[in-house]
Amino acid sequence: MILARAVWFLLPVLPLGAAIDFNRDIRPILSDKCYVCHGPDAKSKNVPFRLDSEAAAKADLGGGRRAIVEGDAARSELIRRVTADAPARRMPPVSSGLKLSAGEIATLKQWIAEGARWQKHWAFLPPARPAVPSVKNARWLRNPIDAFVLSRLEQENLRPSPEASRETLIRRVSLDLTGLPPTPAEIDAFLHDRSPDAYEKVVDRLLASPRYGERMAFRWLDNARYADSNGYQYDGERSMWRWRDWVIGAFNRNEPFDQFTLDQIAGDLLPNATLDQKIATGFNRNHRANTEDGIIPEEYAVEYVVDRVETTSAVFLGLTLGCARCHDHKYDPFTQKEFYRLFAYFNNVPESGRAMKYGNSPPLIGAPTPDQQKSLAELDARIASVENFLRRREPRAMPHNLDTIDAYWAPSRQLNFVLDPQSAKAVAGTAKFEPGRAGQAAAFDGKIYFEAPRAAQFDIEDRFTLSAWVCSDGTPDGSILTRMVDDPKGRGFGLHFDHGLVHFNMTYAWADDAIRIETEQPVSSGEWHQIAVTYSGSRTADGVRIYIDGKPQKTKVLLDSLWRPFHNAGANFAQPLRVGGGWGPQRRFRGRIEDARVYSRVLDPEEIAALAAGESIQRIARKPETERSAAERLALRSYYLEKAAPAELRDAFARLAALQDERDKMERAFPTVMIMAEASPPKKTFVLTRGAYDHPAEQVSPGVPAVLPPLPSGAPANRLGFGQWLISPANPLLARVTVNRFWQMYFGTGIVKTVEDFGSQGEWPSHPELLDWLAAEFVRTGWDVKAMQRLIVTSAAYRQSSQASPELVQRDPENRLLARGPRFRLPAEMIRDSALAESGLLAEKIGGPSVKPYQPAGLWKEIAMQDTGEYVQSHGADLHRRSLYTYWRRTVPPPEMVNFDAANRETCVVRETRTNTPLQALNLMNDVTFIEAARFLGQRMMKEGGATDEERLSYGFRIVTARRPGASELAILKSNLAYHRDYFSKHSPDEYLAQGEARADASLDPRELAAYASVASLMMNLDEAVTKP
Amino acid sequence: MNPIEDRKLLLTRRHFFGRASTGIGAAALASLFAREARGAGGLPDFPNFAPTAKRVIYLFQHGAPSQIDLFDYKPKLKDLRGADLPDSIRKGQRLTGMTAYQTQFPTAPSIFEFAQHGQSGAWLSELLPHTARIADEMCIVRSLQTNEINHDPAVTFFQTGFQIAGRPSLGSWVAYGLGSDCEDLPAFVVMVSQGVGGTQALADRQWGSGFLPTKYAGVKFRSGAEPVLYISNPAGYDQTARRRFLDDLARLNEIEAANYQDPEIATRIAQYEMAFKMQSSVPDLTDLSKEPPETFEMYGPDSRKPGTYAANCILARRLAERGVRFVQLFHRGWDAHSNLPKEIRGQCLQTDQPTAALVQDLKQRGLLKDTLIVWGGEFGRTVYSQGTLTETNYGRDHHPRCFTVWLAGGGIKSGLTYGETDDYSYNIVKDPMDVHDLHATILHCLGVDHTRLTYKFQGRHFRLTDVAGNVVKTLLA
Repeated sequence: MILARAVWFLLPVLPLGAAIDFNRDIRPILSDKCYVCHGPDAKSKNVPFRLDSEAAAKADLGGGRRAIVEGDAARSELIRRVTADAPARRMPPVSSGLKLSAGEIATLKQWIAEGARWQKHWAFLPPARPAVPSVKNARWLRNPIDAFVLSRLEQENLRPSPEASRETLIRRVSLDLTGLPPTPAEIDAFLHDRSPDAYEKVVDRLLASPRYGERMAFRWLDNARYADSNGYQYDGERSMWRWRDWVIGAFNRNEPFDQFTLDQIAGDLLPNATLDQKIATGFNRNHRANTEDGIIPEEYAVEYVVDRVETTSAVFLGLTLGCARCHDHKYDPFTQKEFYRLFAYFNNVPESGRAMKYGNSPPLIGAPTPDQQKSLAELDARIASVENFLRRREPRAMPHNLDTIDAYWAPSRQLNFVLDPQSAKAVAGTAKFEPGRAGQAAAFDGKIYFEAPRAAQFDIEDRFTLSAWVCSDGTPDGSILTRMVDDPKGRGFGLHFDHGLVHFNMTYAWADDAIRIETEQPVSSGEWHQIAVTYSGSRTADGVRIYIDGKPQKTKVLLDSLWRPFHNAGANFAQPLRVGGGWGPQRRFRGRIEDARVYSRVLDPEEIAALAAGESIQRIARKPETERSAAERLALRSYYLEKAAPAELRDAFARLAALQDERDKMERAFPTVMIMAEASPPKKTFVLTRGAYDHPAEQVSPGVPAVLPPLPSGAPANRLGFGQWLISPANPLLARVTVNRFWQMYFGTGIVKTVEDFGSQGEWPSHPELLDWLAAEFVRTGWDVKAMQRLIVTSAAYRQSSQASPELVQRDPENRLLARGPRFRLPAEMIRDSALAESGLLAEKIGGPSVKPYQPAGLWKEIAMQDTGEYVQSHGADLHRRSLYTYWRRTVPPPEMVNFDAANRETCVVRETRTNTPLQALNLMNDVTFIEAARFLGQRMMKEGGATDEERLSYGFRIVTARRPGASELAILKSNLAYHRDYFSKHSPDEYLAQGEARADASLDPRELAAYASVASLMMNLDEAVTKP
Repeated sequence: MNPIEDRKLLLTRRHFFGRASTGIGAAALASLFAREARGAGGLPDFPNFAPTAKRVIYLFQHGAPSQIDLFDYKPKLKDLRGADLPDSIRKGQRLTGMTAYQTQFPTAPSIFEFAQHGQSGAWLSELLPHTARIADEMCIVRSLQTNEINHDPAVTFFQTGFQIAGRPSLGSWVAYGLGSDCEDLPAFVVMVSQGVGGTQALADRQWGSGFLPTKYAGVKFRSGAEPVLYISNPAGYDQTARRRFLDDLARLNEIEAANYQDPEIATRIAQYEMAFKMQSSVPDLTDLSKEPPETFEMYGPDSRKPGTYAANCILARRLAERGVRFVQLFHRGWDAHSNLPKEIRGQCLQTDQPTAALVQDLKQRGLLKDTLIVWGGEFGRTVYSQGTLTETNYGRDHHPRCFTVWLAGGGIKSGLTYGETDDYSYNIVKDPMDVHDLHATILHCLGVDHTRLTYKFQGRHFRLTDVAGNVVKTLLA
């Protein structure tokens, strides 16, 4: 019977001699081989018999037949069918492509014979904190992890391996906790530290290093499918690095994992949400976004939400809920309706299925970096101090001399244009300026208009204000201020009258790529009105405000789907600002326009009101103070401080204006980040038949799957409630799934190997009690992430030597039993980062926009859209930043990352994979990144390594491997050095040394340097150099 | 692939290695590890039955060529020129956002002449004079249909059987299932060339391995000094030095292998040897200087220019000769939304002659019988004009409801035209064929039952054909 189970592929994982355990031995067979038809989704195949619930599996099938007769395998229909000789009767059917092995059949028989005991799926039961098992060899134990590991080894009659050497240990733990190898000084310090906690001190040093947060972040970016581009067709740039930097910071601050989770799921909905908490929600905006012309946005809006559900469930629950998008889950107890109830949590976002072609798509926020926040605070303090100064020094009552000033006040900051006879030239007629409302008004006859070629050169991301006094002949119609192709549906923007209403549009393509918005109330003809519009650069209708006579208007949004800028695909959008025209010859304005203005900023409502106040300074000043409107007071005060006040006050006021301009400029430079937000009114969610966006069925409300614990009482029916549920102690999955992923980082494989699937198709844990103990411990410590890493890396299990006997390797090739230490190839980013560190070139700056290190020329051009830009390589220190800062373009990812199995960043990836290919060899030998790094390692050997070849080679070898070479290794290195000395005495070293942009020390003999660089390259290509020992 | 078996294999070798760790030449090692070195030995029990094709050359016409102007002859359209597409034909089917707002859908007959060719009498447009010469080799399927209406999802669907990114590409599945017949080249090679018409973006993942291990991903060959990324030694460092480098590297790695019983070390040594072999096999492959002048005459004037579709067709033949399992060319530029006549002329000038030459060349070398050629794009184009229809100009939007793909060689019935569309080339009226059917049929030619080529990921046994796909037996010889 033991043999029976040993046949199937989990051979090393099952403890020898154990009795049948339903969850471990039976469910995987039923799930993998039967549930496609006889599982939770049986109804879709019209299959009445189900094997996913005990009641159904043991029910009377009619005529006394039962699939499972407890204790009697021979009478069980299940066994009869899986052993039937007739192909027509035999299960699984041939057409399924599935087969039961003899071992599996034997296991099923034994299980039924032993009474067919059923269990709820283990992962859905809350983890109890198991007792730490007692073991024979208790001296080996360093912490409770070891007791679980050793207990299993003792069952298997295996012994743990001895502790690894100190050099191995420090290399292993430095790579694991910081992603970088130890320096010779760090190795020496550890070797010379004779204190009993020398190793723990190293661990604490590493956990305190900012490199730790970077190392942890890289894996999290894989999980969160982080990238610097949108994906799909155009794959234009986006900017989510503020989210990436938040992740690094959160790990470095050791944010408790439950908070880390809640912030990312629903940080925006927390009371008094901080900027950081809003940034954290970028997690659910990191999915790909489609900007292809001609897509149906509704279709992709669904895909984004599906991606959020799939990612969230894979990362935080270890579940493959995406399988229930089109039908009930085939293996796990999740219905399609439950999928859409989860979908509802992530559906209520004010977003479009078509993303912005360039840059971030709403909802988004300006996300100043900590440095920028500091500068902003400093600037605000300066502004406040000038304002205070003015407040103290200003006269309490306005001086009387203002009542002689026959002038009007208007804001002057960032004024871009004012219509006058000099500022614009008349087209299709002769300019006629005549006395107007207050000054000179231009007359329009339905043909004439004015052009100012250099004014209002804004695009869709710019902020601006357009304003004018207008008096129209007949029903107000036609253009006021525009910058657009002179056509009724022309590209550009314009403030118009449309049959009496005020109309504003920003248009790339009239039908589907534009914002169009108009007032609810019409404007009268034959009277002067002040018309203004402000636009915040949001690229959405909610960034538009229209004012009539200084009053904000209720508006109707006719279209809100702008996604391409006027300069799309590098187009030169050379339209002038037009006054009275621009909407095609039929829509020229008739009437008078006075004081048409353009500002390169958003005027605030008070300023617009002041523009519309319509009173001269003289008249305002003559009014009793109590009768002046707020707008009039603003105009009067501003005029005074600008023009009439003593020099001291005027200077201060000018200084204030300059500071405010500086603040605007600073704000515009803030990076943005896409975040989650709640739509209002809430969006409805429907079950989508077969998952298709255009086949809505039953409407559903947000909710969690029935098989999992209910929502905490009082949890709101939104993402916040979902987040609270995720982190609640009742959730059996979050802690298990998280510690399992940590485990994978250190041991290469999770305790549950299928880190992405804790459902019934997932693999049985190699150490179930250990998993539950770690999960319970994680929660007990307040989800202390650093403490959990410390616990794992200070265990004796982790500290074992990874040297193994052939017998052990054969018995347990994947090292699931942990009778030896972990040993596997480094992940992609560590391979490059190690080379940079070993060369001394590594730039240690944390965070900031992504950088573009060396990449073979033309990779983008060959396959990407021309108008999304060529790869413009960075220079200087940005060539040598850690790989998590490398610009990740989804459709053309960095080749070194791809060669070394980095996650694809298209969709969520939680499982680490490793292959071993010739392309990796070519990459390490010939990529300029590694050639340049080898040159600098060669230089370090020559300059720092000592006087003799032996010393220098040992030094370099130690930098790369953390140990000194053995005699035979040193002999090979020496011989290789000699070969390359000879080689470069016959070949010029110049070209070889010219690879990359960093220049070596010119005082070194180039031939000698080239020889050392070659040996350095050899060292960096060692299996050991790319392997965690 | 069975990881345990793989490891056992390596372990056995590892033992041998341990005993003979001194004096074993790297070259000997290389052949010893050849199976592992090429990354994939194929699955046990694959092929499932006798294949009719050992390899595939897939000529992907990226951007979607117009079936109406090339293959799907619609004489009745001449009289309907400019008439609005009847609702009875359109049937309210969805359009892309680019023409959904058009108020009129003027019928635009092809301005190109059609004639019948070969014994089979296949209808082909005047744009394809060279293809006309191989008409009797071709199996023209006029009734392909897809679910996707936009480029990226449609190409993803064609390449991976699913419209959302993340699954393995066709070539990766084949490499995974069947491994390689070639020792020193990758099993799946991709080449991209630039067209002259409307060009859309591709993505590396279109030949990626999805959830399969990355060793099954297509390797992109490029024109220029580095046909494969990082294949060239750094300037100033020659292959003699590299040989010495590798010998010393192997010696050092052998010492490590003796210390650790990690089979990955032996694999890595082998992969470095494979890399070294590729450093000569790839330049040897891409060096066309020894091709006789007749080759270039046959493939046309572009063929002397590296990186062109024509040059890539010659490379495809050379890859086929070397036993590479799956070669895929992508030629961009078929997305003719507004100036179709001009653009398609240019595209055909680039592709017609080399395509025909490739088929003929393979045939004269006896390779066509076991090489499956597939030609086609990701969807078709609309019968109605996008933008203004004039005497000499029109554009065509994306059309997923019917389009043409043709196959040749490798067990495919030659001289067959399969499937029919309505008078507007808008709907299929006979023998519709889905993308999954095409995949199933391609795999069938390779001796693979498409329902058996599966990989368990996220608890599910995934396959290229998802839950669909039928082998279209009529197409088989």
